[in-house]
Parts: sequence; C-alpha cells; structure tokens
Amino acid sequence: MTIARAPRPLRLRPTWSSVFETGLGARVYPYLMVFPAVLLVLGVVVYPVLSGISWSFYDVTLRKLNSGSFTFVGFKNFERVFADPVFVRASINTLVWVILNVVAQLGLGLALALLLHRPVRGIGFFRSGILVPWVVPSVVAVLTWRWMYDPSVGIVNEMLVRLGIIDSYRPWLGDTATSLYAVTVESIWKGTPFVMLLLLAALQLVPRSILEAASMDGASGWRKLWYVILPQIRVSFAIAAVLTFILTVNNFNAIWLMTEGGPLNSSEILFTLAYKYGFQRFDLGLASAVATMLFVGLVIATTLYLKLMQAREAD
Amino acid sequence: MKMRRMRGLIAATLLAGLSAPALADNIVMWVNGPLASSPDAPIYAELKAFEAATGHTVEVQAVPHMEMERNLFVALSSGAGPDVMALDIAWVAGLADAGLLADITAQTAPIAAEYQPGPLASGRYDQKQYALPLYTNNVALFVNDRMLAEAGIKKAPSNWAEFRDAAVAMTNKDKQTYGVSFGGNRMGAFQLYSFIWQNGGEIVDEAGKVRVGEPAAEEAVDFLAKLYTQSRAMPDSVLTAGNWDEVHAPFIQERAGMVVTGDWALAAFTKGNPNLKFSVHPLPAGVKSATVIGGYDLAIKAGSKVEKPAFELLRWLTGSRSIALMQKYERLSATAAATSPEAIAALPKQLQPFMAQASSGRARPVVAQWTQIHSDVFANVWDAVIRGKPAKDAMAEANTAITGLLEKK
Repeated sequence: MTIARAPRPLRLRPTWSSVFETGLGARVYPYLMVFPAVLLVLGVVVYPVLSGISWSFYDVTLRKLNSGSFTFVGFKNFERVFADPVFVRASINTLVWVILNVVAQLGLGLALALLLHRPVRGIGFFRSGILVPWVVPSVVAVLTWRWMYDPSVGIVNEMLVRLGIIDSYRPWLGDTATSLYAVTVESIWKGTPFVMLLLLAALQLVPRSILEAASMDGASGWRKLWYVILPQIRVSFAIAAVLTFILTVNNFNAIWLMTEGGPLNSSEILFTLAYKYGFQRFDLGLASAVATMLFVGLVIATTLYLKLMQAREAD
Repeated sequence: MKMRRMRGLIAATLLAGLSAPALADNIVMWVNGPLASSPDAPIYAELKAFEAATGHTVEVQAVPHMEMERNLFVALSSGAGPDVMALDIAWVAGLADAGLLADITAQTAPIAAEYQPGPLASGRYDQKQYALPLYTNNVALFVNDRMLAEAGIKKAPSNWAEFRDAAVAMTNKDKQTYGVSFGGNRMGAFQLYSFIWQNGGEIVDEAGKVRVGEPAAEEAVDFLAKLYTQSRAMPDSVLTAGNWDEVHAPFIQERAGMVVTGDWALAAFTKGNPNLKFSVHPLPAGVKSATVIGGYDLAIKAGSKVEKPAFELLRWLTGSRSIALMQKYERLSATAAATSPEAIAALPKQLQPFMAQASSGRARPVVAQWTQIHSDVFANVWDAVIRGKPAKDAMAEANTAITGLLEKK
C-alpha cells in the first residue's frame, strides 16, 4: 500500500532580497528606493538654496570665505542692496524685460500657432523651420545677434537703412536708450517658438465641432478666437505665460553676452546684478540678497504654474 | 628559513625606499587658454623637460582668460583648485588679500634681481611676494602704414598732438574710415590708464591716496573722449567693444588707422588680415612716457601639499628658459636678461617696441579691490564720458567711489 503524499507547496528559494517582500522590509522598501534621489536633491538643490538664503544674512566676502568666519549682519545686505541706485535701475529693467518678453512671446507665439494650425500642404516644413531659433544654442544665437547689431557692419542696420526706417547706422547695443530693447528682440526671437509649440499642441486639442458650430452661428475670426479658442486653451496659455516668465527672469545668457548689463547699467537686470556682486565684487552676501529676492519671486511663479497644471488636469 | 627570507626582503625594500630620491609629486597647473591652445603648444614641451629633470609630473588645465579669475576664486575658496596657477597680474592682490596664495617671499628674495622690477612688483602685495612673472606685456601704438601715408603723414605719431592730428587726418566720413579704434567699458578703461600716467596723473599713489579727480587725470580722459565726441575719429564700436576682438576689428578691416593694444594683437592681425601693412610704435608720449604693464604671473595655492615642487616649477617656467619659451608665443619674458640689447635685437621686429618701452611700464595699483575699481568704476567713467558726460564730473565721482572702496576692507 502506498500512501499518497500531498504535493509540497512550491516555495522559492529565499534570497537576500526576500527581506523586502513582507513586514517591515516591505514597508521600508519604497523609501529605500527613493533615498538616493532624495539625497541627491538635498545635496544639489536644497542645500545650495538654503545656503544661499542664509548667506544673504551674513557678511560673506572673498577674504572671509577662505577663513570661514562670517559675521551675522541681519538685513544689512538687503539694506545695502536697496541703497544701491543700480539695484533700482536693475529692478525697473527686470520689470520691463519680463513684461516685454512675456507679452511679445505670448502674442507672437499665439499668432504663429494659429497660422501653423491650418491644414496647408507642406505645413510640417514651416512648423519645423519656425523652431530653429529655439534649437540654436543660446550662446551661438546671442553672439550672432551681437554681430547683427554691430554699429559698423551689422546687417540689422543695413536692413533698416534700406527699408528707410533709419538714416544711418546706429549702435543699438551701445546706446543707453536702446540696449535693453535690442537684447529683448533677441530674447523674443529665441523664446517665441517654445510658446508657439505649447499653444499649437493646445490648439490641436480644441474640438473641431465647436469651431464649426461657431462658424455656423456666424462668428467672425476674431470672435471665434476670443470666445471659443482662447477659453479652450486658457490653461495652456496660462502655463505658457508662467513658463515664459520663469525662463525670462532666468535668461542670463542673452544680457550678459550681449551687453554685460551695460552701457551704464542701461540693460542691467537683477540676475546680472547678482552675478556682478558675486563674481566681480566678490561680495557673496550682497549677491545672495539679490538672489534670495529673485528666488522668492520665482517660487511664487512656480507655485502658480503648479496650480495651473492641476487645473488643467481637472479640466 | 622562509620567515628569515621574508624578513630580509622587507628590510631590503625599506633600505631601497630610504636611499631612493624623494617621491615624485604631481602638480596640477592652470594656465590661461592661449598658452595651451593645442597639444603641440610650446608649454607642453617645456613641461616635459621639467618632468624629465625633476621627476615630478605636471597636469595642465587650460582656462579661458575671461573665466580664470572667477574660476580661481570659486575653486581656491573651497579648498580645491590648482597647485600652480597662471594669473593676470591685476588679480594677484585680490587673491593674496583673501589668503588664497602661498607666501613665497623667502624663496624669491635671493633671485629677485633676475626679474624686471615692474613685472616682479606685480606679484607683490602688502610687502610680501606671492607670484613670479611668467611673461610681461604693455600697450603700444599700432599704425596702418597705408592709411597713414594716404592721410599725408610721414611718420607715426610720437606725442599727443601728433596722435590727435593723425587720428583726425585718417578720419573720412564718406569712406567710413576712422583715426583710432578704441574699446568701450573695461577695454577702454584699460587703454586709458597709460594716458593718465603720461599726463602726469595718478590713479592711486604709493601712499594709497586716490588721485583720479586731479586735473592731470581728467585731462587725459577728456583728451581721449574728445577724439570720439568731438572729432569723430573713433568708430562707433567704441560704444560697444567689450573684448579685444571687437577693439581690433576696425583696424583689421582697415576702417581704423591706429589702435592702442598689446603684443597679443600681432597674431590676431596676421590671421585676420594677412595683407595688412602695419607697424608698431611706442605709445605717443604726453608730458612723459608711460605704458600700462600687463601679463601673467605664476603663483602657488596657499596650503598646497606640493609647495616645494610647485616653486621649482615656478622657477623653471619664469627663469632664464622663459626667454626662449616666450619667444615661441611671440610674448615677452619678464626676466632682466630679456631687456639686454642683444636679447631685444633677437626679438621679432614687431615685438621690439614693446621691450624698448618696458622701462616706462607702470603696473596698475596693487590693491585688493582693483577688479571692482576697474570693472565698476573706470569702465563706467569711460562709458559715461564718451556719451557726453564731462570728464571732470565723471572723474570726481570716480575719485569718491574708489576712495569708498579702498576704505571698506
């Protein structure tokens, strides 16, 4: 007589990782996985930010940086920054720089997106072509524009003279009245394709039936844009606005490589001013004070951006 | 038996170790980009010779001039950075003041006479020597021979009146040619220092007094600015030229007949316009001759673990071998031997005027705040004056600003 044995339940051979399958191990496992990333973010993002903010309350100069003996000065760095007439000039310039960039990039980006949204033959070529400024490395673009603005041989002057807009060549980057606007033109040229891309993607999600219904109701092009299209893409539009704001405030390359904030601080923005405080004066306390103010502004903008993203998801 | 053999082996190894020469060290060195622009740059052969002679190894990293000061500041402040660094003579005071450079006063005292006094002084701060001169330069007057002849002038200007007359004579609005190309902002500021000294003016005197508000300094700035604001003898690039390429461009394109620049321009001119016929002359003199000294020094990081071999490297590169080494770069050695008539005669013809006027070379004030004085104060003075601000007002403001900077430690 043979006794039939019940088959043993199949069990995998335990390995070192089995400890994470049940109990405390399983609960710890996800935290363990994100730990390296958290460590990295703490090291390269959180620590520098906190350190920068704390430095804005200390007297940190090149001499003191080496000795490591910083003196706590409270809000004195902020007082010094506000007392500097260049800071006032840079703040106004930053405002002008941001408003012009955001308004122009959104306006032109929307216009281009509407233009390129049409089902025309060969539209792919134009859509790709319009992205060229965005794809060109920013340093290359800036240096090219610098030569285009050259007061003696620049093509911008030549074109404007031939079009009869100006009588003679002008030093666009060397004139305190035009330097900021000249750099702004380059920045708008570089940034608009990105906005166009965002809005074009949003336009493609607008249901055709709504547009057809509006047409049947006799809505003109402007009315369709204002009452149908813009409400449909409003969240994308707002996201584009916030992103443009952040990218413009952070656009250090354009101003630094074209004018270094000059002449006579006429194109100075807060970012270039912070750089000068830090790496020309080697006064890191002062630079940190400006950077902290910029940081607060950008945090507000980023929070707004995240809220808008949530709103879009809710839509 | 086995144990005894092992002990013997250990003892032999120890003995061999004790009797061998000191262990070779690795020296990390940062040099300005043009000195190590390609793998066959002369400095590499020189360093190979150093390595063969001393047994040390040298790791070279090239850093662009415009980034060097900032990178050194960041790296050295955090305790990193090179053991040996090439640094513009204008940066020595700032880095030394911050305690980032090794004090080499004791080692250099016995060899001080081997160097030209001006360049050697550029490495001294607060009575201590922190650097030795790798090469020196100064600014001279480059003249387009064809444009000068076409303007009806037979010889290059040698004083301010001739300089102004030549600049005006070479200016032709219809042909869009100008007398002299000049830089804006920091470039222009660097160019005008020589003229301030030539007029008997001072920036900061030896007693530490700021003197840019005095008439001699004002007149010099006014003289140069009027070449643009009144005579229109400078192209509009004076408003924007923020680097040497842009200062040189009108001269290379033969739109400007003269330019005030240094020996670094020679290669740029030959490359930019091989057909350009130009000659180099000492700067036109004012009430006296003067030219601003430039160049690079070599210094050692404070607290470097290889300070002794690093100093050997400094000696190797700045000593007598530097005459031949710098000739390969078309630059001027800062050794005293390089100023002998024989050594000057051996230089390429276009380099000779620089060495000939070396005795009237003046170093910029060796003060820790110099970078800020140059970038924030003088650059703005020049920018303001060429846009119509009276030189007297601009220099008076500069005087106050510099005094404030020097008082604030």
